[in-house]
Amino acid sequence: MIIEGLLARTIQMSTPLIIGALAEVLVERTGVMNIAIEGIFLLGAWASFIGTYYTGSHLIGLVAAVAIGVFAGLCYGYVTVNLKQHQIVTGTAINILAVGLALYFYRVLFGVPLIPLTVEPLSMLNIPLLSGIPVIGEVLFRQNVLTYLAFALIFVLYWLLFKTKAGLVIRSTGANPEAVDAAGINVDSVRFKAVLCSSALCGLAGAFYSIGFLGLFTEDIIGGRGWIAFAICFLGNWNPIGAAIGGLIFGFADAVSIVIQTSGFKLIPNEFVIAIPYILTIVATISRKEFRVPEYLGIPYIKEGGR
Amino acid sequence: MRSDRHILLTLFPVYSVIVGLFLSGLMMLFLGQNPLIVYRDILVFAFRDIYNIADIFAKAVPLIFTGLAFGFAYRASLFNIGAQGQFYMGCLASVSCSLYLSFLPKPLLLSICLLSSLIIGGLWGSLIGYAKARFNANEFLLSLMSTYVAIAIMNFLIRGPLIEAKGEYPQTDVIAQSAWIPLLIPHTRMHMGLILALLVAAAVYFILWKTTLGYKIRAVGMNRNAARFAGIDEKKIFVSVFFISGAFAGLAGFTEVNGIQHMLVQGFNPMIGTEGIGIAILGNTHPFGIVMSALLFGALKVGGALAVQVSNISSSFLGIMEGFVMLSVIISYFVRQRIMSMLEKRRLQEESKVKAL
Repeated sequence: MIIEGLLARTIQMSTPLIIGALAEVLVERTGVMNIAIEGIFLLGAWASFIGTYYTGSHLIGLVAAVAIGVFAGLCYGYVTVNLKQHQIVTGTAINILAVGLALYFYRVLFGVPLIPLTVEPLSMLNIPLLSGIPVIGEVLFRQNVLTYLAFALIFVLYWLLFKTKAGLVIRSTGANPEAVDAAGINVDSVRFKAVLCSSALCGLAGAFYSIGFLGLFTEDIIGGRGWIAFAICFLGNWNPIGAAIGGLIFGFADAVSIVIQTSGFKLIPNEFVIAIPYILTIVATISRKEFRVPEYLGIPYIKEGGR
Repeated sequence: MRSDRHILLTLFPVYSVIVGLFLSGLMMLFLGQNPLIVYRDILVFAFRDIYNIADIFAKAVPLIFTGLAFGFAYRASLFNIGAQGQFYMGCLASVSCSLYLSFLPKPLLLSICLLSSLIIGGLWGSLIGYAKARFNANEFLLSLMSTYVAIAIMNFLIRGPLIEAKGEYPQTDVIAQSAWIPLLIPHTRMHMGLILALLVAAAVYFILWKTTLGYKIRAVGMNRNAARFAGIDEKKIFVSVFFISGAFAGLAGFTEVNGIQHMLVQGFNPMIGTEGIGIAILGNTHPFGIVMSALLFGALKVGGALAVQVSNISSSFLGIMEGFVMLSVIISYFVRQRIMSMLEKRRLQEESKVKAL
């Protein structure tokens, strides 16, 4: 019972981390880090909550999350890819702006409610037949739509990156932009599109925290989970499969921390239990030895003789 | 004439602040507020009386420290995103000393608090530098995550050993008067911490541009490979930069706890680290620029906090303003690069013409 619950919780909590990490893999393979990830998670959570609250439709909530993700991606991509400004600095600015916007418009719309406003969270979809399998059925096939999407996305991204021509272009843009440019492909355009796609996915990942799981929105709802997804991309060596494994490990840490908090287990103080995923990130970052960083990660592409 | 141009270009951040405020103003219009009235209120309130003017400086002090924390590391091309955590560690060190050593005479007690927050903040930061030097770990991720661990430590201590005598709220008791930083202007909140902050900013300038350590730090920042070939031990630089950077953020804890709050409340000032990054960027990571931008943010905070009370605009709008100002500063760097390269091109063309003649 406990084991099944824990595993189901693991799959559930790994969902947004996997989506976010895959989004980051996609964009970093082209040589751009999406540092705005934490802010886009928050905006996604916020937009999907508002969309669902006003229309009662989860679909509109999810569309709103994607839309705001794309919008944030436009700003971030324009400044970092087209204007070639510093990615970490720009990302930080967008993160500050995201917190301000989300908080401000939440208060404008709802004031400061005494009891947090709630929406019905995304319902669990039972896959016929498969959900009937003991243990596995309960763990894997009674989840919400975003979870299925996350797991499908692992394979889609793997196929895209390593089995298609577009994937070759994406990987080369991060590893050798000059060659891509020489082949007549616009480096900035590839990067810009990748930023937009990844930001859209990050918006969806954020939506998981508000309408996919808790059914409410608070200002600290993300609490660094975007950064953890960012870290998972590094730790998974910029590979979709690695990102998925990392997402599951951190999902497990999240699940353990939730289970311990709600149980009577009092050996470790709650404050440190909450910190488990962050401590795990630190340990993993320190102990990982071999990184295959995309060669041009974080470096804007400036055409020789151009300007 | 060329120096005129130079001055105009270095003033670029000032223009971009205006652009950022203009953008926020457009947003206010969109929300049915009159930006002119809001900005007038902010100005009027910020400079209404001596108390408010002093408060601008009081609010700027911790921002100077966290701005310097980011800016100093940035000069070595290192990213210390964890100033928030180092700040909390400094707060904890300072409040613990203030609570447990309150029997000591004031000068001694204050120096112990100052030193402890500096050392604890610095050590917490240098762990990141050490991990980078020893394991080649990514300092961006580590500093980011270290904040969350620091928050956990703070929450644990403040709900446990450090909790107030009543044991009701997650906060400490008010510290003894002997641990309060003396005020610069009586009956305001401007305290001697301001002098400390200005001294530290001056020290940063001195370290970076007048010492061998600073030379090495900037060399590592400009080109890590070249610095290594020049015989600079970059690992030592990583650790010392992170120690110094963390120490600055820790000092912000000392001035906030002993100068303003006189106690420690769980999770207070949650944006101070992020704002420090904004301030450092706005100030072009130069100590003088950082002090100036911190004062600007201080004025926005003091004036803004009061202005939102008289209009029906929410206080979280200040966050939006800060974000817009930061974004326009970044874009202004692009515009400046463009103008500089244009001027350079024109100069080269003129020179070649002169040569041809």
